[in-house]
Amino acid sequence: MKTLNQKLSVFLILLSAGYLYLSYNLKEYPYVPVDSDFLPKVLGYVLIVLAVFLFFDKSSETEEEKEKRQVPKKEIFVLLAVGGMIFLYIFLLEIIGFVLSSSLFIFACSWFLGYRKLKTTLLVAILFPLIMYLSFNYLLQIRLPQGLLPF
Amino acid sequence: MGAMEGLMQGIQVAFSWQGILFVLIGVVAGTLIGMMPGLGPISAIAIMIPITYGMDPSTALVMMAGVYYGAVFGGSTSSILLNAPGISGTVATSFDGYPMAQRGEAGKALAIAAISSFVGGTVSVVLLMLFAPALSAVAVSFGPPQYFALMFLGLTAIASLSDGSTIKALITATLGFMVATIGIDGQTGTTRFTFGNPNLLEGIDFLVIALGLFALAEICFLVIKRKDTSLQNQGDIGSLKLSKKDFKEMRGPMGRQSFLGFILGVLPGAGATIASFIGYITEKKISKNPKEFGKGSVKGLSAPETANNAATSGAFVPLLSLGIPGSGTTAVMLGAFLVLGIQPGPLLMADRPEVFWGIIASMYIGNIFLLVLNLPLIPYIAKILKIARPMLISLVAIFSLIGVYAISFSTFDLYLLLIFGVLGYLMRLFSFPAAPFILAFILGGMMEQSLRQSLTSAGGDMMILISDPVSIGLYIVSILSFIVPIIRNRKEKQSDQEEKSDAS
Amino acid sequence: MKRLLMFGSLFFVLILAACGGDSSETSGDSGEGGDGEWTPDQNIEIVAPAGAGGGWDTTARSVGKVLEEEGITEQNVGVVNKEGGGGAVGWSYINSTNDPHNIFVSSPPLIFVPLNGQSDLSHDDFTPLANMIADYAAFAVADDAKWENLNELFEDMKEDPSSVTVVGTSSPGSMDHMQFVKIAKEAGVDIQKIKYVSAQDGGGMTQILNGSADVFSTGVAETVEQVKAGKIRVLGITAEERLEGEVLEDFPTATEQGIDATFVNWRGFFGPGDMTEGQVAYYEEKLKEVSESEAFADIRNNYGWDESYMDSEEYSKFLDEQREELGSLMEELGLNQ
Repeated sequence: MKTLNQKLSVFLILLSAGYLYLSYNLKEYPYVPVDSDFLPKVLGYVLIVLAVFLFFDKSSETEEEKEKRQVPKKEIFVLLAVGGMIFLYIFLLEIIGFVLSSSLFIFACSWFLGYRKLKTTLLVAILFPLIMYLSFNYLLQIRLPQGLLPF
Repeated sequence: MGAMEGLMQGIQVAFSWQGILFVLIGVVAGTLIGMMPGLGPISAIAIMIPITYGMDPSTALVMMAGVYYGAVFGGSTSSILLNAPGISGTVATSFDGYPMAQRGEAGKALAIAAISSFVGGTVSVVLLMLFAPALSAVAVSFGPPQYFALMFLGLTAIASLSDGSTIKALITATLGFMVATIGIDGQTGTTRFTFGNPNLLEGIDFLVIALGLFALAEICFLVIKRKDTSLQNQGDIGSLKLSKKDFKEMRGPMGRQSFLGFILGVLPGAGATIASFIGYITEKKISKNPKEFGKGSVKGLSAPETANNAATSGAFVPLLSLGIPGSGTTAVMLGAFLVLGIQPGPLLMADRPEVFWGIIASMYIGNIFLLVLNLPLIPYIAKILKIARPMLISLVAIFSLIGVYAISFSTFDLYLLLIFGVLGYLMRLFSFPAAPFILAFILGGMMEQSLRQSLTSAGGDMMILISDPVSIGLYIVSILSFIVPIIRNRKEKQSDQEEKSDAS
Repeated sequence: MKRLLMFGSLFFVLILAACGGDSSETSGDSGEGGDGEWTPDQNIEIVAPAGAGGGWDTTARSVGKVLEEEGITEQNVGVVNKEGGGGAVGWSYINSTNDPHNIFVSSPPLIFVPLNGQSDLSHDDFTPLANMIADYAAFAVADDAKWENLNELFEDMKEDPSSVTVVGTSSPGSMDHMQFVKIAKEAGVDIQKIKYVSAQDGGGMTQILNGSADVFSTGVAETVEQVKAGKIRVLGITAEERLEGEVLEDFPTATEQGIDATFVNWRGFFGPGDMTEGQVAYYEEKLKEVSESEAFADIRNNYGWDESYMDSEEYSKFLDEQREELGSLMEELGLNQ
């Protein structure tokens, strides 16, 4: 369990084991020569074989690749926060509606990431969702969640 | 009535003032809708159908055709500028289009896309006009064994889609293939890997994966690099002007992919997505410096854009001459015909020549409109990149989220999108390429189904897969495309060494 | 692990469903007068449990359009697509919002999908409002096929079922498969041995034209052009009587060939489970008006649909019968869960 490849390889083997377990429990359909479990089983074993190759893959990473993975701790927190905001957005979308949740998201996210022009942010955060919403709902007849707003 | 007379009638329809006006309306509406998140040709056509109620059928259909290829045309914008492919046909466009835009050449990238689309669209219309009736035989010539061979050919390209480790490329491809097995299996009705969740029964939508692996993963990188000053030139749009060298580079892909894309479009089920991928891959294979691909290569951008537009015209062959819709989009298009009381099929050309030829003739005008309208707009559209980084990040996130919501209307798919975004980011951190994942996801599903269709009808006899010249030919090409690059590499290495030894 | 995941995702769906419900429940059954009459007090929403462009979507959009444009309803009528699970996602949406302003369009999959075990909700969980149209199945073969009628085909299939490949668009246990099975069963074919493949994206027609498959099980309308052009022949359709119209009238029914079985691809509207009599009556009346309007007659003609209005009571009885018949067939095939 030393190199990164070996860790990834173990993870992939566990993943394919789970997938194979599910494949072996698929319902049987007796009237076809090749049933629905055939390909998943093949894929499961192929992934195991590939993971084993990866385990023994000695080729080291290029400097460029290593550098890509060096993410400062603080930035990880920022990423998680953005992910959390997207999660919250999805959660609220059908409750408070498209316009409100998008406005909140654009405002909060831009502000959080360091955009400090209040007027512009407000303008975009209100106009962009509103224009999108109106054109989807009325022009294109595709209904986005209305939520709390009366239109 | 001869074909010539029919063609003349069609030209009259297309070049009448109504014809020109409605083509214009169609392509503008199509481009605009195609640029919207998540809305591709299917939605564009479905949205426009009610507008055609009560219109003259040939004018209405000329407009609908415009909507169709206009939407394919417009779909490339978000791929290039935001790495957020709005429709499946433009995923391959982002491979080289986005890096080019990031390099500060957004204007050039959009111009290349527009010109390639125009050439692909126009050349394929000529092919459509000359060969539509004759090609209807080609459209139905592919049975399940041939489709299997075709998908096989597509899959052999996986290794070439990544520059890094081949093993990693194969692993992501296998994972993509696995994701494709989720949902109800077509041949048995068995539900696979859905964990009892009805949202997964029809499988995971392509757009969820594409937007997750590409757009959201890219957002993660943008977040981290938001203060990075070394990337300042990303806001640059660059000049629209293409140099002579650029044109020279585009000539090859545009010429070849217009034909290849068209043929793949003719085959029901293959369509613009597969055409764009195969276009990209073939150009990479035959290119003298394949290393450029994926880093903003002119050829790599031109090829898929030419191919997907050529395939769009190709899809009209089975639709018009057989009444067979080869894709979800042409199925909706067929609906648009029916609403107007026109039944496309083998008799359309004889019964309603003005409709048949009108549509084809109008496509020339439509493609010219698309080019003329879009080129001047490019500097304005590319301004999107001038938006300050934090704001741009928020907007791209919303764009991807609406995109997915507008096709499934379920928050479940939005959570999936988030998961694929995280997966895409992790894959990039660990240098697993995303392109093989998406390619295997698209081809895998069709490959499995065609394999099992073949075997079911042959009663389990494997020989059916290699029992005809077309499939055998496709397998030979697959094997060659696998071996030739290896041999070429060896030779290059040898000659390198010889040079070295000569020098020493 | 599987259980845990299953439970987890179920829980997830429940939460989502609960959230989806909140917004609309507040305005639940207002508008209910003292005498049981009911009129909607907000816009009506027709849910098409599928994506844009399919059969459900077209029905929903065309009925919505007639309702609005002919002034049959005062409210606006919007169409919402809830795609997924062969309808299951849309059905659970209706079930969880439980708002009489939300109705949905459905067809035989409402019977097949629950029988396949792919949805926990069946037509019992909804209120059938009215059936609007009927469509029928056709069994087509290439023009150079050796069979002239259904009986010749079924004779061959009785002798050697593996010599004939049937192709349809949907998977086994769904409509294209079961409509063929139902007729073949009546003709005495061993239905367990029927070779059926599913091919999407126009693959069915392609496969009989190039000889990859022998029989195409599809809707009547899909065959007309190819028959006119002399590329395929229709051996039989599943209507009770011959249809009207050019070409259509030449299609022999299975019944007239001595096979006493029919299959209807019905399409109608449903509301959530608990609706008052007044609400049902409202929709029955409005949908009947649509069905009788000239505008809708034109739409039916264009799509080749048959008029087949059934009111709520008649409709539920019909659905129960359908389930019984098809359920026993699926049980025989082991597709029932």
